[in-house]
Parts: sequence; C-alpha cells; structure tokens
Amino acid sequence: MTSHAAYTGNDPHQLLTSIREHARRVRMTQRATWFPLLVFAALTFAAIPAYRLTGLHPGSCAALPAGGRICTVESTAAFVYWPIALVLAYAAIAAFYIRRSRTRGVDTPVRPYVIAGIILAAAVTSAALWVFHHPLARYDLPGLPGQPGLAGLSGRLATSACGIGLALLVLAWAERNGPLLALAIGYLAAVLLPINFGWVVSLPGWFFVPRLVIDGSVLLFGGIGFLLAQRPWQRAA
Amino acid sequence: MTTHPAIELDDIVHQRVRLGILAIAHEARRVEFSYLRDSLELSAGNLSQHLGVLENAGLITIEKGYAGKRARTWVSLTKAGRAALAAEITRLKLLISLVEHP
Repeated sequence: MTSHAAYTGNDPHQLLTSIREHARRVRMTQRATWFPLLVFAALTFAAIPAYRLTGLHPGSCAALPAGGRICTVESTAAFVYWPIALVLAYAAIAAFYIRRSRTRGVDTPVRPYVIAGIILAAAVTSAALWVFHHPLARYDLPGLPGQPGLAGLSGRLATSACGIGLALLVLAWAERNGPLLALAIGYLAAVLLPINFGWVVSLPGWFFVPRLVIDGSVLLFGGIGFLLAQRPWQRAA
Repeated sequence: MTTHPAIELDDIVHQRVRLGILAIAHEARRVEFSYLRDSLELSAGNLSQHLGVLENAGLITIEKGYAGKRARTWVSLTKAGRAALAAEITRLKLLISLVEHP
C-alpha cells in the first residue's frame, strides 16, 4: 500500500504537508455524515402517519391586537412522537459511531453532537409546549407585528425540525465539515422560512404533509449525497 | 539577536514518524495502534519504539484493552503532546518563511 502521506525526509515543507494530509485522512475516516441525515429523513417521513394517527388537540386562545382571536391546535406527535423518536435516533447514531470507531481505529467526534441533539430536543419540546399555550407567539414575534416572512417564526423555532438542524450545525463543527455546514444552513432555512413551493394540501387533517415532505427531502437528498461522496462500503471492504 | 528556529527544534517531535503519530492522534483524539501502523506504513516493532519514545516524553498516553476478544492498544495525545505539536508546526512555518523570505 502506498500512502499519500508518506514522505522521505525532514524537510519542513514535506513535514507540514504530511501533517495536513494525515489530518485530512483521519477526518475522512471519521466522517459518517450520511447516517444521521438518513436517520432523520426516515423519522421525518415516519412523522406523517404519526401526526395523522395521533390527531390534533386544541390548545389556548388569545385575542389578536388587530381584533379577532387566535387559537393553537397541535398534534400529539409534537409532544410524544418527536421526543421519543429523537432520543432513540441519537442513541442509534451514538451506537453507530462508536461501533464504527472501534472497527476503523479512530475515535469519532460524535459526543458533542449527541449531547447537543438531546438537549435541543428537550428544549424544542419545552418551547413547543410553551407556544401551544401562548397562541400569540406563533402568530408573530414580539415587537415585529405582521412583518412578512417573520410571522410565525417563533412557532417554527420551537419545532423538532429546528432542533435537528441546530444539532447538525454542531456536527458540522465537530467534524469540521464544510459541506455539512452548508446543508445544515440550507435545512434550517427550509425549516424556518415559510417555503412550501406553493404546495398546500386542502384535505382536512393533512395540512402538515408539505412541511414534513420538504424537510424530509432535504435530509434525504443530503444523506444520499454524503453517502455517495463518503462511500463507506469502499473503506469497509 | 534572535535564535534560529532550527536550533529550537525538539528532536523528539521533529522526526517524521513521531510527528505523524502526533498529527494523527491530535486529529483523532484517540487512535488505535493498527490505524497508526497502516497509515504510517511501519512494522509493529518500529511503531512500538516510536510510541515508547513519545510516551516516555509524556507526549502520549497508551491504553491497552479489549474489543470483544481482540486486544487493542489506543493512543491519545496528552496536553504536553498537543503543545509540542503546535510548537513544532509554528517552528516549521517559521523555518519555511525564513527560507522563502530571508
């Protein structure tokens, strides 16, 4: 086997080049970005039947400043399916990375990601509960009444999708992974901005489908992209 | 008068194999013996000698254990090891800049 990092002397240029090359190869060995992305894509698509089966529950109502009233309605899935699914997903991701580090011989930087993910899952579930009982928070940001594009931002911040996106930022930092950083920012943009490509489901009880399909597709295509780029089957061979 | 950076080079660290071990251990946080052996293209005996030098200098710690029935040896960088690697990189960059911009 010929190593690209091999060098013959103590020339400073060669030594620095070899240090960088060793570091790059370790990072390539450590990365398994495709796995969490595909896990979360699967969870997001699986949330569609979970939302449908668990049903909607009315929350609180409040008077709007411009007149009228606004009430919150939320699926039980937000408070039951997502917390359980996220904890199980992070446990699976941690187990996968640990097993991988044992077979490949290098530790993987998964711990900060898993810890951040679980903390964020708890935080967004708490925030979702708060928003559920404070209808005006979902309607608008405090102090920014009716600004286009911002309406409902606080409600979207308090979602499990936002928690997944923020945890992906932590993974990008831990893996020093520029492409993942770009994907995490794109995913957060898709989650936080009211993007639906004009797709509205008029069937009662299925209004959440476009949101979940768009979020899940970003994760799915990102995961497939990283899978093809990282080609784990080649190193495993 | 400033000291020439070549004079300050640490003989323990300024050696291609040992520098490679430190670089890999720094990036991996904890690395297995076989990964080092394969990456650096060394025999097990040769790698053990270099690891011994680094361990005696307090730059790495060596941890032995089992993964299932297989014996494993894990190498981690110490705080002194991280500092030594950073200092070596700084000196190498200084040497290069002195050569390129005398």
